This record gives sequence, structure tokens and C-alpha cells, in this order.
Amino acid sequence: MFFALIGILIGAIIGFLLPYTYNTAYSLYISVAILACLDSVFGGIRANLENNFSITIFLSGFFGNAILAAFLAYIGDRLGVPLYYAAIFTFGGRLFDNFGAIRRIWLRKRKSIQ
Amino acid sequence: MKNSNPKIILTLFSILIGVLIATQMRMKVESIAPVTLKSIQDIKVEINSTNNEIIELEKLIKQREDELAIIENISMGDQNIVDILKEDIKLNKVISGRSPLEGPGIRITMFDNMNSEIVGFDIEDALIHDVDILNIINDLKIAGAEAISINNQRVVSTSEIKCGGPVIRINGRSIGTPFVIKAIGDPKVLMASVNAPGTYGDTLKSVYLMGFEPEIQDKVTIPAYSGSYSYTYAKPVGEGD
Repeated sequence: MFFALIGILIGAIIGFLLPYTYNTAYSLYISVAILACLDSVFGGIRANLENNFSITIFLSGFFGNAILAAFLAYIGDRLGVPLYYAAIFTFGGRLFDNFGAIRRIWLRKRKSIQ
Repeated sequence: MKNSNPKIILTLFSILIGVLIATQMRMKVESIAPVTLKSIQDIKVEINSTNNEIIELEKLIKQREDELAIIENISMGDQNIVDILKEDIKLNKVISGRSPLEGPGIRITMFDNMNSEIVGFDIEDALIHDVDILNIINDLKIAGAEAISINNQRVVSTSEIKCGGPVIRINGRSIGTPFVIKAIGDPKVLMASVNAPGTYGDTLKSVYLMGFEPEIQDKVTIPAYSGSYSYTYAKPVGEGD
């Protein structure tokens, strides 16, 4: 949980320092992809806490979800239908599910320690 | 090691996400407004109407260019319009009787009864009257005469034929015997219309013994109407053409 937050902070600092940028036109796809990645990381944390973390599942989920989300956003743009809503709702919902699970496991752990 | 492996991986990917988020934030993307169906529709309608406007304007440009080309042709000395107008004038002159015409037709010479014996009791019966001329002209018209003149006075739509004592008046001019009526048309039909038994002309000739000499001519020349048309009461209805 905390290492993920620390990782994100480190990444943010690196990102702010790096001079690279990408085309503004892709920002929508990237933001949807970021959401998918966040969901994957939360899923990874939860799996880690539940002790059934698999690196292949995590990696395929991380990149697969990101690509699928970006692709949905792109297709939606082309069709004139905001399909990226699907990605936002799905990954947003799962994000909170995962967070809820993590929270419960973590609190239970603290209780059992006490 | 196996235990810490997921944590390291998660940290690494968290760093990746952090980089992405930071880059995204650095882009300073002004609010990515979600594209709603309605806004897409609105913009589409706007684009369509603008495109239509463009098409209309292009049509207008083309029309104006055509007009310009016509005007340029005229100014270049291409006598298009002038020729057309001249043709128009010619036709209108023919219709209004302003141009002399010629063609096959008949020529009728009418004069008073020259015989010493008078048919009937009245000297009047031996004279050519306006009514006689009128009837002959009417017969000719029925037979399809295209142009008629009496003593070189063109008979037009307003021509009057009026008794003026020993003379008759037509187009405001007095004419006396012999009356020469010329008509352009199918000569045989015209001839038959005044010469066939039972016609008015035949009656004049054989009953009243008037001088009535119709003859077919290959070329009859009918002069132009020289009077003027004046319309005081009649007004054209509508725009005309």
C-alpha cells in the first residue's frame, strides 16, 4: 500500500523533471490508460495482501487494460459515441472495490496484531 | 526474495503510473470536455449549414461569372445581343405591318359598274361600297391571307374601311376607284374565295356587273403600314413577357 504511494510520488517527481511530452490529442487516451493502470496496481496490491499475486496476471492486466481502455476511447472518438465512459466506470468501480478489499485486509491485520 | 518480489514490481509500475500522471499534468490540458452526442450533433448541423452556405455562394459566383462572360462578350464586339434584338425587331415589324412584304397571292381590281344599263333602280347599286370592300377582305382573310393592302394602304388590325361619299377611307386616307386589293397567301385558295360561284366577289361581278378582276400573281408586294398606332385607353395587362 505505502510502497505503491511512494512509487507514484517518485514517478511524479521523475515525470515533472523529464522533458518529454506527447501530443495533446492523445491526452484523453493516456488519462483513460492511467486509470486502467491504477486499477491494475490496486489489484496487484490486493493480490499481494491476499498472497496470490501472479506476475503474469499483473503484467497482462496492467498493459492489457491500459491498451484496451485507450483503444475504447479511440474507437469512441471515431464513432462519435463516448465509449471511454465504459472504461472509466469499469476501472473506477474496480478501483474502489480493490481499495475496499485492501482496506479490510489491512484493518483485519492490524486488529489481529493488536 | 519471493515475498518482496511483488512489492518491487508494484513499486516499479507505480513509478511508471506516476510518470504518466505527471506528464499528463505537465501538459496543462485545458479541460478535456467530454464530447456529448448533443454537442457532436450541434457541431454537425453547424458544419452542414456552413457547407450549404458555401455551396450557395459558389452557385452565386458561377451565376455572376456567367453574367460577366455575357457582358464581356458584348463589349468585345460579339454582336450576340444586337443580332438577337434585330431578329426580334424584324419579326415584330412583320407582325405589326411595319415592313413591306412580298410573296405569292392575288391582285383584285374593283371598279364601278361601267355599263350604261343599271341593275336595279338605284344608282347606288352600280357603285363599289365600303361594305363590298369589307366583305371581299373578310373573304380573303377567311381564305388565309397573310397580308392585305387596298390601293397600297396596308390593312392592319386598326385599319378602318369607311364610306366617304364617292371614295372610301382607309387608314385615314381617301382612296377612289379603281380599288386594287392585294393579298399574300395561297393563291388558289384566295382566288377561290373571291371567284368561286356563290361568293361575294362572284355576286358582285355576275349579278351587279361591277368591275371585278381577280388575278393570280407569283409575286405580290404589299407596302408597309405608314400610320401610327396610338393606344389611349388600352393598357397592357401584367408584365408582358
